[in-house]
Formats: sequence, C-alpha cells, structure tokens
Amino acid sequence: MDLENQKRVKDMAEKYGAENVVVLIGGAEAESAGLAAETVTAGDPTFAGPLAGVPLGLKVYHAVEPEFKEAVDAGVYDDQIGMMEMVLDVDAIVAEVSAMRNQHTKY
Amino acid sequence: MGKLRIVHYINQFFAGIGGEEKADHKPEVREGALGPGLAIQAGFGGEAEIVATVICGDSYFGENMEEAKAAVLEMVKGYSPDLFIAGPAFNAGRYGVACGAITEAVQAELGIPALTGMYIENPGADMYKKSVYIISTKNSAVGMKDAVAAMVPLAKKLVSKEVIGAPEVEGYLPRGVRKNYFADKRGSERAVDMLLKKLKGEEFETEYPMPDFDRVPPNPAVKDLSKAKIALVTSGGIVPKGNPDHIESSSASKYGKYDIDGVYDLTVDTYATAHGGYDPVYANLDADRVLPVDVLRDMEKEGKIGELHRYFYTTVGNGTAVASSKKFAAEFSKELVADGVDAVILTST
Repeated sequence: MDLENQKRVKDMAEKYGAENVVVLIGGAEAESAGLAAETVTAGDPTFAGPLAGVPLGLKVYHAVEPEFKEAVDAGVYDDQIGMMEMVLDVDAIVAEVSAMRNQHTKY
Repeated sequence: MGKLRIVHYINQFFAGIGGEEKADHKPEVREGALGPGLAIQAGFGGEAEIVATVICGDSYFGENMEEAKAAVLEMVKGYSPDLFIAGPAFNAGRYGVACGAITEAVQAELGIPALTGMYIENPGADMYKKSVYIISTKNSAVGMKDAVAAMVPLAKKLVSKEVIGAPEVEGYLPRGVRKNYFADKRGSERAVDMLLKKLKGEEFETEYPMPDFDRVPPNPAVKDLSKAKIALVTSGGIVPKGNPDHIESSSASKYGKYDIDGVYDLTVDTYATAHGGYDPVYANLDADRVLPVDVLRDMEKEGKIGELHRYFYTTVGNGTAVASSKKFAAEFSKELVADGVDAVILTST
C-alpha cells in the first residue's frame, strides 16, 4: 500500500476511532490485496510507511468477499463488481485477505 | 549482560522522508528505531535495542561517498554500539551500494560487528559481498519479514563471535571464503560420484563453483564510420510521449522499438522518459540528452557516420533484472544484425 494511502488510513482511524473504520480493498491480485490487508491490521510489512510498526487491527474486507457481497444491494453489486468477480481469482483473494483479518483484526 | 546496542542505517525512503525527490538528504541521526528498525528490534525479542538510526539520502551518499561515509561513521561512533546493521536494501541499487560501503567501513574502521542485506542482483552485492556479510533478500520490501528473520540470528553470532556457518545455512551471499573440513569420502571418490551423476543427467552440486565474471570481449573497431549504419539503444527509458507500450517505470518486463525516420530532434512534445529511477525533468525537456538523435543526425549530415538506423530500441534499466535485460538484447540484436546495423551506441542515465 502506498505511503499516501497509509497516512490516510492512519489519520482516519485516529479521527473516527479504529473500531469505527472498515477498510474495503479492491485490488485485483491476491498477493497485493493480502499485503494491503496486512498493512491496515498488523502494520506495514515493508516497514517503509506511516503504518510501519503500527498494528491498527482494522476490520478489512475485499470487495469480492461474501461478507461484503451480502451486505450490499445485489443489483448494484452485479452492475459494479459482477464483471470483475468473474475474471478475478476470487478464492485466492478471499484466502489471503481473510487470513490477515482472522489473524490480526482487533475489532 | 544487558541489551545489545545497535545502530541502524536506512535511506530517506525507509525513514519516511520521501522518495527520489528527497534522495539528496544529508546524513542525520535520530534516537531509537525507525521504519525497518522496528522490525529488526522486534526480531531480537528484547535482547537488543536500536539506540540510534542514521539516515542518509541515496543520491547524497552516492555523489559524496567519502564525506557521507565519514559523517555516518562519526554518528555511529558516538553511540559506541555492539552491532551495526544497514538496510536491508532489497533491489535498490544506490541504497545497496551505500549499505555495503558503510557496513564495510564500520567493520573495518570502527571494529564493530556489522551486516547488511540485499537482493543478489543489487549492484552493491557484487561490490561488497567479499568484505561483509550480506543477507540474501527478495527483490522488494515485501521480503522484509524474511530478511529480518535471517539477519537477526547471524547478527547475534557475529556479536558473540560464534563460528559462522556456510552461506546456504546462514542465508548470506557467498563470499568466496573456503574452509577446510573432514569429509567422509576422499576427493577422488566424490569426484567420480559427481561425474557419474553428470553423465546420467542427474542433479549434482560442485564443490568449487566457478566465479561468474560476465565479461564481454569488445568487438573489433568499426573500420569506416563514414559508411557505418549506427543504431541507438538505451536503458534510459526514452519513449514516444505517452509511453504507448506502457514500459514499466521500474523492473521493466519489455522493451520498445520506435521508428525515427524523419525525426531530427526529440522535443518536449514528442518524447519523454518512462524511467522511474532518476529525476526525469531534464530528460523530458529534451530527450536527446539521453538518446542523442539530434547529434547523430548532425553527424549523418556531416558525413561522419554513414546513417542512423531507422529504429531505436529502449527499455527502463531501473531495477530491471539482468536476466530480462539479456533476453531483450538477445531478441533485438538479431533484428539489428538482420537490418545491417554495423554498430550500436548504448546510452544509460
């Protein structure tokens, strides 16, 4: 996750309280989605950004995960994400992101 | 024994100061751990403390090596640490060279155990792997966790002056150091075993790997430049404006071939650089500074060279794997030969 976005996430978690923030990831690759999920839960794994050593423990989901899909209007989901859902490696993404969430989310 | 005192060296990027635009940052020292130092300190699990972090911009270090080295050494000395760690630098070239140079200096001039880490293809690896321990890392910072996991045990051994095992055991880059040991089988037997495996096409491991010098013998000189067809090839990332083939700004996976028939000057409106590893302002203002089409057109007109080849080949050298570069060149060299090109001018940044 780039340094600017790390800063934004950090600022928002401070402003609204970490328990009130959910991070929704849209990355197309399982590995990068997993890294983003790790960054907002356990801290920046590359130790280069504002979240280095800052385990925010935020709730984090990917847009193709069932938890998110069930929470939104099915028609809108189909319009906006349905196409991507077909071409992405959904299983791999869910595995990476949920592993990070289960291991590091505090809320 | 109390906690080990560590001084850690990082560049401006890992210190959160900024990227390329802040690479001229002068050496400074901050108390405590910062960035990757947090991971290293955690890796020691309470046995060590990073008492200070020295930060220096990669360009500043590269351009003022002696001064920067002296300044960093003074800073390190001030904390009289038990251990010095630089990086890891992964595949960042100038950062790798800086890490190698400063690790070597701390070890040699201050007599403090020191180590660093980087990717095997980092230019700093070849320059310093003989003089210092360099933990082998992945080519990007995604490999931070693995790098720290290998650096910590080796660092502890260096401090306690334990025997350091072989490179493949400890995870450092081979240093070309050979040690005697007692083998179960005598040499002739081992050699025959190896030969038999080789003849059967099986995997075998040499006991004496040959160094890979990768020297390229120069071609004979061009006899008559005034009749020669000259081609331009660059790793400086010059592309038609808009980068039509989307050559990556680092770790390029491809190269481009562009027609310069009738092009006499690369202008700010027509060409730019795709390279992400240097300040692009001057290359974008006038791409001839990296790919000298204008000068070669002059020489063509003056009859100093026969002609300028109608295509130039270009890629981004920034962090691009040596293996990829070789593959690109193997492909387009064939085309250059087929097109009757007599000589190539290869420009870098």
